[in-house]
Amino acid sequence: MNTNLSRRAFLGLGAAVGGGMLLSACGGGSASGGGDGGRLKFWDMPWGQANYTAAAKKLTEAYQPAGSLPKATYQGLQWANFSQTFSSAIASKTGPAVSTGGGFQAFQFADQGAIAYADNVVSQFRKDGTYDDFLPGQLDAMKTAKGYAAVPWQLDFRVWWYRKSLLDAAGVQVPTTWDELLTACRTLAGRKLFGFGTGAGAGNNLGSQGLHLMMLNNGGGLFNADGKVDVVTEANLEAMRFVQEMVKAKAVDPASVSYTTDNLITQWRNKKVAMGIHTAGLDTDTGETDGDLQVMSPLTGPGGAKAGLVFQNNIMMYADTPSQEGSEAFLSYYIRSMKTLWQQNVVAGLPVLKSIVALPEFQAQKAKAKIIAEWAPVAKTFAANSPTLFGGLASVDSSQPITQFAQTVLAGQDPKPALETLQKALEGIVK
Amino acid sequence: MTITAAYPKTEATRARKPRRARRMLLWLVAPSLVLLLLINAYPLVYAALQSVRDGSLINAGDYVGLENYRATLTSPAFWRSVQFTLIFTVVGVFGSWLGGLGLALLLRTRIPGRTVFKTLLLLPWVVPVVVSSTAWNWLVATPQSPLPSLAEALGLGSPLFLADPVLAKITVCVFKVWISVPFMMMLVGAALAGVDGAVYEAAEVDGATRWQQFRHITLPMISRSTYISWILMTIFCVNDFPTIFLLTGGGPVDATTSLVVLSYRTVFQNFQVGPGVAIAFLMTASLVVVSVALYRQIRKAHV
Repeated sequence: MNTNLSRRAFLGLGAAVGGGMLLSACGGGSASGGGDGGRLKFWDMPWGQANYTAAAKKLTEAYQPAGSLPKATYQGLQWANFSQTFSSAIASKTGPAVSTGGGFQAFQFADQGAIAYADNVVSQFRKDGTYDDFLPGQLDAMKTAKGYAAVPWQLDFRVWWYRKSLLDAAGVQVPTTWDELLTACRTLAGRKLFGFGTGAGAGNNLGSQGLHLMMLNNGGGLFNADGKVDVVTEANLEAMRFVQEMVKAKAVDPASVSYTTDNLITQWRNKKVAMGIHTAGLDTDTGETDGDLQVMSPLTGPGGAKAGLVFQNNIMMYADTPSQEGSEAFLSYYIRSMKTLWQQNVVAGLPVLKSIVALPEFQAQKAKAKIIAEWAPVAKTFAANSPTLFGGLASVDSSQPITQFAQTVLAGQDPKPALETLQKALEGIVK
Repeated sequence: MTITAAYPKTEATRARKPRRARRMLLWLVAPSLVLLLLINAYPLVYAALQSVRDGSLINAGDYVGLENYRATLTSPAFWRSVQFTLIFTVVGVFGSWLGGLGLALLLRTRIPGRTVFKTLLLLPWVVPVVVSSTAWNWLVATPQSPLPSLAEALGLGSPLFLADPVLAKITVCVFKVWISVPFMMMLVGAALAGVDGAVYEAAEVDGATRWQQFRHITLPMISRSTYISWILMTIFCVNDFPTIFLLTGGGPVDATTSLVVLSYRTVFQNFQVGPGVAIAFLMTASLVVVSVALYRQIRKAHV
C-alpha cells in the first residue's frame, strides 16, 4: 500500500475536513424549523404518569391529515429547563410547529413574534360546535389583542385538600370559611398535625401558588384590572396576615419553606399533613385513591368571596412551520381526539371540554369531578384581576421574587415588607 | 550540559527554517483554530452583546450600554450572592483540600483494606450530583429525616437543615466539601506519590519531627499541585450550579443563592437575559483574576 502522501495533498485534505466542519457548524441541519423531514414536529410535556407519553405519542401518530397536509411526529420533553429548550430551539429555527408547554409560554412567545395565532382554528371550532364544548370562559382566556395565542386543552387547579381520617380523629369538621379553617388548624396543631401543608423549596411552586390562592380568595391578586403589578393592597395584606396567623398557630410545618414537591408528598403520605393546598393530582401523587384524601369545597373568604386558582395549559402553534394549514389541522385534530387520554386516565390535569367531563371514566374520579363542578366556576387565572393573560406572567410564575416572598411569609415574617419587596421586584421583571 | 545549550536558538537557525514549512504549520492548525473560534469565541462574543442589550432568549433587543452592569452592581441581591459565593468557595476549596490531604496522607500509610477504602472514598465524586443531592435531601429535609431525628434524640432540638438560612448555608457547604474531597484526595495523593521517600529518611536522621517533616517537606513538595487543585476547585465552586440548585434552589429567602444560581434564575426564571449574562461576565472576570493570582503562585512554587 502506498502511504506516501504529498504535502499538497495533505494540506488539501486538511482544508477539506476543516471546511466541511465549518459548513456543518454553520448549517442548520436537515430539519427545518417546525418540520422534520416534511412532517410537523409536535413537542409535548409529561402531563401525567409514566404511561401518558406513550398514549400521547400514539394519538399523534394516529393523525391522518387530509390531502397533501403533513403528518406529525411526537417528541416528549422534560420539565427541567424547558424554557431554555424551547427558546434555543426557536432562536435556532429548530423548534416545533405545535407544542404544549408552560401555561404562559404562548403569550410570552407571542410577544416575541414566534407564535402563529389560532384564530382560524377557533373560527372552525365556532362552525363545527367544538367552541361550545369548552368549559365557560376557558377558550376566551387565550384571547389577546392580536388574536388567540393558543388553545387550552387541560386545566391545572390549586385547591384545598384534606385527609378525612385525620379530621375525623380530631373531631374537626371540614372548614367552609377562613375562620373555621383557622379553628381547625389550631385543633389539628394540638395533635401535631399541620393544617396548611405546603412547600416552597427547590422547584416547588405550591407555596407561592397557595399564597396566591389565599389572596384571590380575599378579592386580591398580583395584578390590577389594568394588568399592572399591584401587590400591596389591603386585600392581599389581610390574606397574608391570615396566613401569618396560621403560621403562629403551628399550622405550617417550619421546614416547609425548603420542601420540594417530593418532600411535601411524603409528608402527606406520612399523615403529618391534615389539610393543604395542592394540585388536582394529590391523590394520585400520593398513590391514595381510596377516598381518604378529599377535596374541600371552595372556602368563603372574610369578604364573602370564593375563589380558586387555575392555569389553562394550552397547545400553541409556532410561526416557523412547514405548513400553517398543516399546524392548524393537527391542532384541531388533537383537541377533538384528546378524549382518549382521559378515557385511559393518563392525564393529571382536568379536561377543558364538557364532553370529556361528562365521560363516566372522568366522573368516576370523585375528587377531580368535584373540582370541575365546584372550583372551576369560581377559579381565577394567575393574571387576576387583569381581564386577560399576558406574556409577562411567564416571568412571574416560579420567579425568584415570588419564591422568596413565599419563603418569607411561610416563615412567619411580617407580610407587609414582604409584599412591598415583591411589588418592587415584580415591577422590575414584568414588562 | 543542557539540551538548550546543545541546540541554541539563534537568529541564524530561525532564518534557516523554511518559510514554506512555517506556512504549512499555519495551515495545519487553521482548522483547529477555526473550530475553537466557532465553539468558544462566537458564544462569548454573542453573550457579550447580550449583556449590553435588553433582549429575550429569542430576540436580541435594544442596545442599553452598560445599564445591565450598573443595575447588577447596585443590586443588593447581587452582593448577597457575592457574599455567599465567597463563603461557598472558600469553604469548598479549603474544606475539600484539608479533607483530601488528610485522607491522602492516611492512605499513604499501610492500613488494611486500603484499596477498598480508596474506592469507597471516591464514591461521592463518582455518583451523579442528582443522586447524591436526593440522598442528602432524604437525610435532612423533613423533621422525620435521619439527621434531624438524631439531633432530636440527642436533645439538640429539631434543626431545620434546609429551612433555616444559616443552617442551609452550612449544609450546602458541607455537601460541597463531601462531594469534592475525593477529587482533592486523588490530586494530593498523586503529588505525594512523587515525593522521594529518601528525603523523609534524611529528615529523620536529622531529627525532624513528623510535624516538621510535614511543614517543611511535604507541603513545599506538593505546593505546585496544591495551587493547581485550588485553581481548579475555585473554578468548580464558583461555577457550581447543581449542588446548590438541587438541594435548596438558592433558598431559603436567597440564603444559598450563589452568583451562578442568581445568573440562571435571572435569565431563565425572570427572563432578564441582559442582567443575567452581565452577572455571568462579572463572575468570569473575577474567576480570571483569582486564577491568575494563583497561577503566579505556581510559578513561585518550589517544585
